[in-house]
Amino acid sequence: MHERLSFHIKRDSFLHSLNPLTKLVLTLALILIAFTFPYYWTPHILVLAAIIPLSLLGKVFREFSVTALRLIIPAAGFLFLMQAFFQPVGTDIIFKFYFLDMTMESVLFAFRNAMRVFVMVSAFTLFLVTTHPSELMSDLTRRGLPGQFAYVIISTLQILPQMQAKAQTIISAQRSRGLDTESSFLKRAGSLIPLIGPLVFGSLVEVEERAIAIEARGFTSKQVKTSLHEVPDTAFDQFLRWALLVFIIISIGLNLWLS
Amino acid sequence: MAFVTLQNVTYKYPLTEKPVLQNINLQIQEGEFVSVIGPNGAGKSTLCYALAGFVPHFFKGEISGEIEVDGKLSSKSTLDTWVLNVGLAFQNPFNQISGAKYTVFEEIAFGLENIGVPRDEMKKRVEDAMSLTGISELADRSPYSLSGGQQQRVALTSILVMRPRLLVLDEPTSQMDPIGTREVFGVVRKMAEEGMTVVMVEHKVEWIAEFADRVIALKEGQILMEGKPNEVLTSDLLTENGFGVSRYTSTAREAKKQGLWKKQNLPVTLDEAVEGFKK
Repeated sequence: MHERLSFHIKRDSFLHSLNPLTKLVLTLALILIAFTFPYYWTPHILVLAAIIPLSLLGKVFREFSVTALRLIIPAAGFLFLMQAFFQPVGTDIIFKFYFLDMTMESVLFAFRNAMRVFVMVSAFTLFLVTTHPSELMSDLTRRGLPGQFAYVIISTLQILPQMQAKAQTIISAQRSRGLDTESSFLKRAGSLIPLIGPLVFGSLVEVEERAIAIEARGFTSKQVKTSLHEVPDTAFDQFLRWALLVFIIISIGLNLWLS
Repeated sequence: MAFVTLQNVTYKYPLTEKPVLQNINLQIQEGEFVSVIGPNGAGKSTLCYALAGFVPHFFKGEISGEIEVDGKLSSKSTLDTWVLNVGLAFQNPFNQISGAKYTVFEEIAFGLENIGVPRDEMKKRVEDAMSLTGISELADRSPYSLSGGQQQRVALTSILVMRPRLLVLDEPTSQMDPIGTREVFGVVRKMAEEGMTVVMVEHKVEWIAEFADRVIALKEGQILMEGKPNEVLTSDLLTENGFGVSRYTSTAREAKKQGLWKKQNLPVTLDEAVEGFKK
C-alpha cells in the first residue's frame, strides 16, 4: 500500500501523453455535456462513443471496467432505483411495489440521471487513472496556481494513508496494554477516546516539524519555481482544449435557448 | 573574520520561563566541522534552529545578541533568504519528507524546484548529491517506503543538494547503523574539506573524535567547554557534568587509576585505545 498512494496507472498511451489540463478540460466537457445537452440519449451516447473508447485509447480498459463494475454501476444503480420509484412524474404506472409506483416517465428520467452520474464518475476516474498527480500539479503551478495550494492537495493525498497507518500503530500499542477493541460497540467507542490524544497532538507536532523542513528547502522563496518534470503541451493539446470549450458553450447555449 | 559569529546570544521560547540559550559566544571559520554535544535539554536543537534562522523567525520568542553568517545578520534578514545560505536537517526523518513527492528523486529535487533551478541543472545536481550520499539506487522508491536510516539519508541529501554555505545537522544519524553513520560522517567531512562549514549535533563521540575539527559541549544553554575533540571528549569536566563519554575513554581512565594506562592523554576511539595499551 505504501508504494501506491494514487489512482494513477503508468502506461504508455496517447491519453497518458496528453497535457493534464487538456485531460481536465476533457473531463469537465464530458460532464457538462452529459448534464446540459438537450437530447435525451446524450449521456448514453457519451458512454458508448467517448468513455469506453477513451479507456481503450488509454490502455486502461480492464482496470477501468473493474472500477466501473464495483463502484460506479452500483452507485448509479441505486440512484436509478430511488429516482424511478420516488420521482412523482407521469401517470402510466408500469410497476407497483406496495405503495411505491414506477411510471414510464420516472423510469426514463431516472435512467438518464443514472447515466449522467455514470459519465461524471467514470470521466473523473479515467482522468485520475491516466494523470500523475505530480504532473497535474506542476502543470497547474506553471500556469499560475499558487504553489501552496498545490502542496496542500498533494500532501493531503499522501499523508492520509500515513495517518491511517499511525492510528493503527497506536491502536496496536494500546491493545497490547489491554485496550478493549473487540467487545460491544459502545465500549469500543469509549475506548477510542484515549487514542485521539496521541493521534491529534502527534499530528500537530508533525505539522510544525514538516513546516520547518519544507521552509528549510526554500518553500516560501520568492523565486519563480521550476519543475523537475517537463509536462508536454502541444499545439494539438491547445487545439483540443479550444474545441472542447466550444462544445461546452454550444451545449450550455442550446440548453438555455431551448428551455 | 569568522564565517559564523554568535555574540551574546540569549533566547527564550514564547512559552518557557528560563532562557534556552544563555550568552552564547561562538566563532566558526569557513570550512570548519564543528560538533555539538550535550545532555537532553542543553539547547542543542535550539542552537541549530538559531543558526538556521528558525529562531527567532519561525518560533518567535525573545532573542538578544547577534547571529551573523557570511557577513549577514540574522536579525536583519528574512527566513526565505536566510535558508539559501544555511541548510538544516534534523533528527526525525519522517517529518522531513515533504509529502508532496512520489519518488525519492522528486523529493530531493523539491528544494531546487522551490528556488527556481533550471531543469537540466536540477537533474544533474540531484544525481550528484544522491551518488555522494550513496542512495542512487533508491531514486524511484516512494520516500515513505524507506527505513528510518534511509529516510535520514534522503533528508540529508535533500539539504546537501541545495549547496548551503553553512550546513546545520541535528542528530542526522540517530536511526542509522554503524556503517551508515560512518558514511554520513565521511560525506560531511568531505563537504567541509570542499569549503562547506558544518555544525553537527551528535552523541556518537567516537566518530566526532575521528572526523570533527572542534567540539562544543553545551549544558543548560551555556557553553561548558570547547576545543579540539580529543581534549574536550576526554576531559574530566565532561564526566563531572554527566556527559556521556566513549567507552574507551572510561576504560582508560579506570586503567590509569590502576597504573595500567601509561600515556598522559586518554583515548576516545578504539584505535587510540589499542595504541595506548600497547605501550
